[in-house]
Amino acid sequence: MTTSPDVQPGVAVTESRQTPAAPSGPAAPGGRPSRRDRAGNGLTPGWLPWLLQAPALVVLFGLLVYPLVRVAVLSFQDFGLRELVTGESSWVGLDNFTEVLTDPLLWKVALPNTAVFAAVNVFLTVAVGTAVALLLAKLGPWARGILTSAIMVAWAMPAVTGTYVWVYLFDARDGFVMQTLGSLGLVDPETTNWFTERLPFFAIATANVVHHGFPFVAVTILAGLMTVPKEMLEAAALDGAGAWRRFRYVTMPLLKPVFAVVTILSTIWDFKVFTQIYLMPGGSGTNREVLNLGTWSYITAISQNRYGLGAAIAVLLTLLLLVITAVYLRTLFKQEEL
Amino acid sequence: MRKFGSGGLTRTRRGALGLGLASMVLATAACGGDSGGGEELQNADEVSGEGKSLSVWIMEGTNPDADPYVEDLKTAFKDETGADLDVQFVPWADAHDKFVKSIAGGTTPDVAEVGTTWTPEFADAGALADLTDVVDEAGLDGDLVPGLVDAGTVDGGLYGMPWYAGVRSVVYRTDVFEKAGVTPPTSWDELVAAGEKLKAANPDMITFPVPGDSEYGVYPFVWGAGGEIAAQEGDTWASEIDSPEAQEGISFYTDLAKEHGFSTPAATTWDEADLSDAFSRGDVAMMIAGSWTPGALVEANPDLEGKIGAFPIPGPDGGVSPSFLGGSHLGVFEASENKDLAWALVKLMATGDMADEWSQQSGFFPGTESLLQKVQEEDDPVVSPFATQMVDGGASLPVTPLYGQVQGKKTVSAMLQSILSGDASVADASSQAADEMDEIFNQG
Repeated sequence: MTTSPDVQPGVAVTESRQTPAAPSGPAAPGGRPSRRDRAGNGLTPGWLPWLLQAPALVVLFGLLVYPLVRVAVLSFQDFGLRELVTGESSWVGLDNFTEVLTDPLLWKVALPNTAVFAAVNVFLTVAVGTAVALLLAKLGPWARGILTSAIMVAWAMPAVTGTYVWVYLFDARDGFVMQTLGSLGLVDPETTNWFTERLPFFAIATANVVHHGFPFVAVTILAGLMTVPKEMLEAAALDGAGAWRRFRYVTMPLLKPVFAVVTILSTIWDFKVFTQIYLMPGGSGTNREVLNLGTWSYITAISQNRYGLGAAIAVLLTLLLLVITAVYLRTLFKQEEL
Repeated sequence: MRKFGSGGLTRTRRGALGLGLASMVLATAACGGDSGGGEELQNADEVSGEGKSLSVWIMEGTNPDADPYVEDLKTAFKDETGADLDVQFVPWADAHDKFVKSIAGGTTPDVAEVGTTWTPEFADAGALADLTDVVDEAGLDGDLVPGLVDAGTVDGGLYGMPWYAGVRSVVYRTDVFEKAGVTPPTSWDELVAAGEKLKAANPDMITFPVPGDSEYGVYPFVWGAGGEIAAQEGDTWASEIDSPEAQEGISFYTDLAKEHGFSTPAATTWDEADLSDAFSRGDVAMMIAGSWTPGALVEANPDLEGKIGAFPIPGPDGGVSPSFLGGSHLGVFEASENKDLAWALVKLMATGDMADEWSQQSGFFPGTESLLQKVQEEDDPVVSPFATQMVDGGASLPVTPLYGQVQGKKTVSAMLQSILSGDASVADASSQAADEMDEIFNQG
């Protein structure tokens, strides 16, 4: 590109002439009909789009907006079983939030467990998913088909089933991993129960979540890889770029939007991870060291009937996620501008 | 709790309670669109229910094959009142949520089996009818098992009719004990001595697993050592789980695992289901388990037939350590349109032949003392030790809806697990549990 104006001035000029028009290009097809609407040629009345969207909007409102608003309202109330029976409610202002924010459990346990776990898992899920996608892209159609089906099974397995399998593998008495490592003399089954310690607990949870999450990333990135022009990779190879540099400087920039999508989705999933933690031994409240925001909120609201306080934790989790997603999107767009 | 006060029940208090309930019922009726609820409950010898139908919820699984019982119940009730029954079975695991949702939505049944630990919670919320007067009028008040009456009493009113009871004692392998030359221990020292012998004779077995995700195993030792979980002081409760006596009991129980090595690290995260699984696989010499388990253990592993025995949890120096008396009440819901009829059904189910039939089939103990005595006289080796445990040492947990929150937060199991995993000392863990309980008690 940088050399082209010198060699072919004519081409460069036409390109530069088109450039100012380009931004309006994509907007034009969308913009023009709407202007026609407003002019009122009588073909599509203003309410028609709303009517056509009504079924979807009703479902969205019922399943998303209403519960969201209800949780937000609950978080400002002292709401227990009595309130549920009588239908009364008492407003307590920010009391619930004060209670959550001044609870050492939030700062020492729940928040670090949520944030660090999510960061590690997002990184590992995307890394493993990408590696598998690169492998799949290299394979022939047959091998790729078989391998894709195999990883789809991991994806299709319900979280509950998957969690029980992982728990069983690491069971302190009969687990396959414990027995293997025990017979090799690497751990002492007489004194070890991995689920009672924070790091091993989350290591097992990480294996579970990454195993369950990487297929989606792999398939999505594989789809992206198919769109990378072979010519560019060849050109880079001719210029002497090795595999890593080709991936880092050609593939990654081209697939940036795909990486953005899988990272954001994984972040959302891994922040609100619940089933995989709650169903592990000690995860439902007996082991206080392994509570995260999701399980803490559930135990507070459902097991203790403190719906208001549980809602406040859920609201905080949502706000945290919004902030992280917003910051992430901003940095991404900034890089784009540069 | 505080609205109504507690302690002695005076005329005015009962009046205030009635008013409070009535206003709550009105509110429920208004929100649930249920116009017929809230009539005064009366005891009558004959209630006509011609053309009426009652909805009844019973927990699933208590009675392994409940259909014949339900048929008998329907016939008996039709004969007595002319009314029909619509019986629904609800799994224990979903039951609490289902009750809460039905209370919120105004779709409660007329009569339901309510777990004893839930009765104060639903009564306090205004969902259950006060049965004190009708129980008096029916002349039943002297015959009910005291532990179940305590568990169903909130602010002086009885909200649950005792239906059946269960209690935990020690369940053991008779063949393993015999081979090791051990007889059921009758004191804590004997328990340790028996454990050492069993461990030496069966190194591959778990002598006495101490499950870290079940609170019911530690209570007998806290009570046995003379401690309390919590004590009521006027209107409020205060935790006593960190008292020296309670700590002594907790130490003894956790030391069975930590010092004597009778347990296994895996048990640190076990709940009672895991414990039963291990026992039915043949891995366990003795464990603390409920009076309802021996049948299920044999069903899971028929090889254990005839090899299961039970003995009451010993006291420190002989006698019996108290154990939590669990079970179910029958409750009449405030929103019911036919409360007199509902009470007639409760009477039919909780007394006489129908109650006898239920306890025979389910393996639980009846909720009336006259029937309980009958069971004790039968002298079945896996039944009578539990009956002894229940009569000599049946205890209830703090009867307040707030203790339901303590259980929901798993305060006691969390304490056990942190001691068993070595994260905290008995002193630290119990004082942390006490703080947590007090925090919950003070919110009420």
